[in-house]
Amino acid sequence: MERLILPDIKDLHKLDVYEAHGGYSALRKALGMKPEEVTDEVKKSNLRGRGGACFPTGLKWTFMPKQTNKPKYLCVNGDESEPGTFKDRQIFEFNPHLLIEGTIIACYAMGITTAYLYIRGEYGKWIRMMQKAVDDAYAKGYIGKNILGTEFSTELVIHKGAGAYICGEESALMNSIEGERGYPRVKPPFPAQYGLWGCPTTINNVETISNVPIIINRGWEWYSKIGAPKHPGPILVGVSGHVNKPGVYEMPTGVPLLEIIYKYAGGVPGNKAIKAVIPGGSSTPILRGDQLEGVCMDADSMKAAGSAVGTAGLIVMDEDTDLIQVIARISKFYHHESCGQCTPCREGTGWLHKILDRFVAGEGTKEDIDLLMEIANNIEGNTICALGDAAAWPVQSMIRRFRDEFERRVARRTAPVVEAVSA
Amino acid sequence: MARMTIDGKEYDVDPKLTIIQAAAENGIEIPHFCWHPSLSVAGNCRMCLVEVEKMPKLAIACATQVADGMIVKTESERAIKARQAVMEFLLINHPLDCPICDEAGECKLQDYSYKYSIGYSRFEEDKVHKPKRVELGPHVMLDVERCIMCSRCIRFSDEIAKQPVLTFTQRGDHVVLTTFPGTKLDNPYSMNVIELCPVGALTSTDFRFKSRVWEMSSTESVCPGCARGCNMQIWVRNNQILRQTPRLNEEVNSYWMCDAGRLNTYKPVNSPQRLKAPMVRKDGALVEVGWDEAIAKAASELKSFKKNELAALASAYATNEDNYVFLRFVREVLGTKNLDFVRHVVEGDEDELLIRADKTPNSTGLKLLGVGPMEGGRDLTGIIQGIKEGVIRALYILEDDVASVPEIAAVLPNLQLLVVHSSIQNKTTEYADVVLSASTYAERHGTFTNFLGRVQRIRPAVATLEHDRALDGFAMSRWDKFASHNDRWGRPMKRDARPTWRILTALAGALGTKFRYNTSEEVFKEITERVPAFKGLSYAKLGSGGVTIQLREQAAVPAS
Ligand SMILES: Cc1cc2nc3c(=O)[nH]c(=O)nc-3n(C[C@H](O)[C@H](O)[C@H](O)COP(=O)(O)O)c2cc1C
Ligand code: SF4
Ligand code: SF4
Repeated sequence: MERLILPDIKDLHKLDVYEAHGGYSALRKALGMKPEEVTDEVKKSNLRGRGGACFPTGLKWTFMPKQTNKPKYLCVNGDESEPGTFKDRQIFEFNPHLLIEGTIIACYAMGITTAYLYIRGEYGKWIRMMQKAVDDAYAKGYIGKNILGTEFSTELVIHKGAGAYICGEESALMNSIEGERGYPRVKPPFPAQYGLWGCPTTINNVETISNVPIIINRGWEWYSKIGAPKHPGPILVGVSGHVNKPGVYEMPTGVPLLEIIYKYAGGVPGNKAIKAVIPGGSSTPILRGDQLEGVCMDADSMKAAGSAVGTAGLIVMDEDTDLIQVIARISKFYHHESCGQCTPCREGTGWLHKILDRFVAGEGTKEDIDLLMEIANNIEGNTICALGDAAAWPVQSMIRRFRDEFERRVARRTAPVVEAVSA
Repeated sequence: MARMTIDGKEYDVDPKLTIIQAAAENGIEIPHFCWHPSLSVAGNCRMCLVEVEKMPKLAIACATQVADGMIVKTESERAIKARQAVMEFLLINHPLDCPICDEAGECKLQDYSYKYSIGYSRFEEDKVHKPKRVELGPHVMLDVERCIMCSRCIRFSDEIAKQPVLTFTQRGDHVVLTTFPGTKLDNPYSMNVIELCPVGALTSTDFRFKSRVWEMSSTESVCPGCARGCNMQIWVRNNQILRQTPRLNEEVNSYWMCDAGRLNTYKPVNSPQRLKAPMVRKDGALVEVGWDEAIAKAASELKSFKKNELAALASAYATNEDNYVFLRFVREVLGTKNLDFVRHVVEGDEDELLIRADKTPNSTGLKLLGVGPMEGGRDLTGIIQGIKEGVIRALYILEDDVASVPEIAAVLPNLQLLVVHSSIQNKTTEYADVVLSASTYAERHGTFTNFLGRVQRIRPAVATLEHDRALDGFAMSRWDKFASHNDRWGRPMKRDARPTWRILTALAGALGTKFRYNTSEEVFKEITERVPAFKGLSYAKLGSGGVTIQLREQAAVPAS
């Protein structure tokens, strides 16, 4: 397939190169349309968010009030902190103007006059690259007052994160921009009613927004035929773990996971068997290596398999992987990143982590396995934001699909005791 | 109106309410930690999760608006399980040091543990350790390990006290409550966070480790610290006040009171400077005497002055009842027209929340009663002038340390007779010839009228010699109820002090005028019959929250 988001063009991050390859023509086209027509185009394209929840983008845009005397905001989410996810970074580095162009078009569609691009604080190099691109676009009149000579004006501000995964959660992100502690907000009210500084706000992922110029340029009909019909378009899949060629691959949605692993990422080193994969970033439920047949990278297929597309960060684990260590490490991450606001997540993530650390040390018990499951169940669905769920799902799925691994770890500790008794 | 169902029963509720509010209005408490009726909604504790039909997930009752036809289940299996889970989570890192915690006995976490938790812990890991004994400010001590991160204290400081100095730092189960660098929790309302805190994380530096909650009695009263008259609870053990806490009254003080009212008003009650008995001056020194002797001495001394040589100062610290009887005493017994009272206004020491510049609890009451110079009589300035000139030779003062005002202190030595009602040794008693030991606001019945015209009752919490806790209907702690004769707390120290109206009644009798008052309530009844502003009131009607009366510029002088 033709690469649309990360085309193979040298120096595309430079404005003149981007322009030479048709850059900013979508913006020109969009500014010639009515804002509602732009939204409609995106809606019909069936573009779904690439930030984790696969939410229909056009529909989200229609939540923004048309009549309001408050300013409206767009937050472009580039916090990218989920373990296994590193795809937005590629856009910052290789196609920043596509993101800028999409951002301005989105602002035009929703009548927004300020957009914030929130970038993960650790992405120092990419923040600098993005800032350069934004400065160039300002200089060329693609951002700022009277864009391309029209009545439409909008500003684009880059906001640097400060090292908290939770600030990728959309409402924590808004608090972070406001200079508040990165605490997710209780919803409702939803951001489209009460968002940044209490004003109507839309939050979209970097990759999501980068799809917008493509849709405008080629039309929704063309776009909606790419990949899986109900979840169409190009998707950036970040493959990591036990593969020969880890990296970010652009492909249509709906590609079988096995094809991603073996064709795109060059298979497993030493031709080892796959024990498990985490398909969409560390929060998505783990799948067994022997259940991958026919599972594809799109929302429906993943759901049917008992997992989720998430951020399409595919982590491959070969037969020698210690899954107990994997789940302990994942739980450590969520323990470390829980904002600490709501009780089940604050206390539960730490508890899970501590029990799993005991398993790693060979000190888990059989009862602990059920306890882990119950703790995860008690967190899931009971918290302010989805970090609680993100912490619960890997544990639940790991126990459900790899209970034998846990049981072996329990046995390992008890075995010598049994021998001693029988001797 | 929206018709909703809670646990199978239907209610008509205001559709603007949240589930927790609608339930509360109908007398149902949905368990909660972080929600508070006067603070913004935080939604963080997750204790109020309930099942709402047609909603896929459990919903937090504090942030979910009611709707017509909504069916809420607080007792469904899922809701119960979620509550048990929240309790379990809250307790895993909690120190469980109830046996040494001040909050025990009035702790939401403890109460809910009994009610809603499974009763044992499955947690076998190491607990997280956090700072202990952190001084947040002059009056509030923090134990972070006990904190359940409900953020009530932060929201109070931000939203009510308007001193946004509290915040959380760190993340997850390492979250720590603290003050911003270089700041202290030292606003005039800082101690309200102590009651707001649902656990023992925030304790009073004044009260901590003094008593278990159940060892104290608690009595409904009103703070005498300023003209607001915040409703409060007086907590007493062994006949000593150990703390005062605010009591809800939306008409007056909501849930709050100021730190000064809470601390400074009760200290004098417990003070070693308290008078133990009446005193008269003998050979230049004040000596303790019995009531009969003190009253006789005051009577005989007062008799030796002409009416226009006498002046009287009522007191805005004393109750309506005291001042009313005083008014009659001055008119009918002393016969002088020279009457006034000293205002204690501290300009600028006021704010928009509670604190009033008028530092007396009853100046409005005095105005309504008509306390002031009578036709042709002298007001305060005239009285001071008269004393200076030697025209006024005898002065009768109620419960007010008037010598703290320099202009008054300067003329007091000119007097030939100074009779003072006071509960404590102070500058004024130093000049006195007769000191009649009055009981404090914490030792008597009576009413104050606040600056808005709200008439509110005070009740005795500390017993004087004339009281018996059980027979006189005092609030009783377990100790009060079950102490035996050889328990220390069964034989508390009682002072020989009496309410001013009773002292005046006795003195009037000694001077030949019979006042027929046996209780403060009888005095109040007469006030309601004779002073139009108080018409129709009674102690029963005042209840625990008081009644607001119409304020009028001109108050009637009672007919005798
Ligand atoms: C804990 C947590 C972290 C998240 N981090 C990110 C992130 O780094 N980037 C992102 O785009 N979305 C992240 N999300 C999802 C956002 O809340 C939001 O759904 C998304 O940005 C919406 O964009 P989309 O509709 O374009 O997918 C996170 C969500 C949670 C609960
Ligand atoms: S679920 Fe976790 S991260 Fe999200 S608000 Fe609650 S405590 Fe914070
Ligand atoms: S100190 Fe108390 S009031 Fe403040 S957050 Fe902790 S538990 Fe809540």
